Amino acid sequence: MSTVPPYLTRTVKGGGCAAKIPPGILDKALCGLDLPVDDNLLVGLERADDAGIYRVSDELALVQTVDFFPPMVDDPYSFGQIAAANALSDVYAMGGIPKTALNIVAFPSKTLDISILRSILEGGLDKMREAGVVLMGGHTVEDPEIKYGLSVTGYIHPDRIKTKQNLLVDDRLILTKCLGTGIVSTAIKAGLAAPEVAAAVSLSMATLNRMAASVMGAYEVHACTDITGFGFLGHLAEMVVGSGTGVRITSAAIPLFTDVLEWAAMGLIPAGAYTNKSYRGGVVDFVDGVPRTMQDLLFDPQTSGGLLIAVPAAVAEQLVAELIAAGVVSAAIVGEVTASPVDRIVVQ
Amino acid sequence: MNDVLDCCGLECPAPVLRVRDALTGTALSQIVVTVDNEAARQNVSRFLEHQNYQVHTAVQDGLFLITGSRDGVVTTESVCVADPVGVYPEYSGRKIMVLVTSAHMGRGDDDLGDMLMFNFIKTLQEMGPELWRVAFVNSGVSFVAGDSEAVPLLQELVASGVQIRACGACLAYFHLLETLQVGEITNMLEIVTGMKLADTVVTV
Repeated sequence: MSTVPPYLTRTVKGGGCAAKIPPGILDKALCGLDLPVDDNLLVGLERADDAGIYRVSDELALVQTVDFFPPMVDDPYSFGQIAAANALSDVYAMGGIPKTALNIVAFPSKTLDISILRSILEGGLDKMREAGVVLMGGHTVEDPEIKYGLSVTGYIHPDRIKTKQNLLVDDRLILTKCLGTGIVSTAIKAGLAAPEVAAAVSLSMATLNRMAASVMGAYEVHACTDITGFGFLGHLAEMVVGSGTGVRITSAAIPLFTDVLEWAAMGLIPAGAYTNKSYRGGVVDFVDGVPRTMQDLLFDPQTSGGLLIAVPAAVAEQLVAELIAAGVVSAAIVGEVTASPVDRIVVQ
Repeated sequence: MNDVLDCCGLECPAPVLRVRDALTGTALSQIVVTVDNEAARQNVSRFLEHQNYQVHTAVQDGLFLITGSRDGVVTTESVCVADPVGVYPEYSGRKIMVLVTSAHMGRGDDDLGDMLMFNFIKTLQEMGPELWRVAFVNSGVSFVAGDSEAVPLLQELVASGVQIRACGACLAYFHLLETLQVGEITNMLEIVTGMKLADTVVTV
């Protein structure tokens, strides 16, 4: 078991995007709130998209997002990298370019050494540097549990926004990172994950979706989102429900981290996966023969997961080839948009 | 007889690990696990099925009683025990953990040491409700297995809510796994985290 101090994951109850408040419960808090109306608000709360978008001029809009969570890895520097990559991802998923950021920090300064916080911030800063983002400030509160993340602002052209909507029949769906970060994190907590698997997952979570977004920018993308706390099927459901189309997923084509199916079979599944399943399981039909371990994995909450991109069938293979050539090596076509059953996901 | 493993209050993946440790090195035909949340119920069920147990779940007083059975026969009585062994109201006061590291107490004469350690175990109950857990390691595991005279004393402690733990690696080393009489098998991780949870750790 790799247990090098300071064991960040032992200091918190739930780490990463698995710590999100379940969607069904969040809806109850948001439902009926009197939201301000503004013609320049192009993407707001009611659309439940990855980030909000506000038009400044016909040429320029602001993309804004915020994301923070407790640690899901033990190393502070890696945690900082992952939290920053995860927060920046929402801007990339909208097709925007992140420009500025503010740190959001909760830290138990009375019980943990302040050098831990410094390492977390260094990890975050390195990712911001890689993304070409300027850190403008931040806010830190005393808290029994560590939490870190960013508020990010980016630029986008108002005509080139990539939302979760607008799936078209016969589109292909491309996923750019492996699934299973929640299950691997559980296996790490259980002391079962081999160091090389833990390192591979940590690297994947710390990888910016910048390159994937940049490659996708040259294509006619109909819809895009990033896969985080609600799991692959949870985020896909947000694309499908209300789209007037259906989606067929080929589970055998889904890129997975090493050993995750075995761990899922052993019951090393984060509670968030069951929450996601009970919230969105109703819109998913599993064809006979899709094993339960795969079903669980498709609902596994992801931290800093990949982009899920819908493009016309004619260019899908070319886009995957270009993504792989650009270093997005896990990219794969995982499904297609169908005319029926409307608003449902079929997994085969 | 059923082994009942209380995993209430534990979050994933702790319940699965507790069940795995309980089954390590033993071939229980039936195990009953209590958990208090849906994710733990699903995960423990998956783990038991993965270990080729047939799983049956009953709900009782808001808790899930998960029965894993290898002989395929799940008796109703075993599932619906009114006061399952091992499920106790959590004692919230000071916690004392006793770590027994040897079959003998102190250095000098081992025969005298045997007698002293037996007497120590016999007298442990005088610690009262603050005695939370007794963990046996190295040759100390001889007290929880075979025909040790300490077994009935330790069973009395279990009946009063004390947790008895025996190091699985140590039991295996002394070939005592098969004859474990009282308590649950543990590992170094649980021993170390137990030390952190306890207010006082007494090592003998």
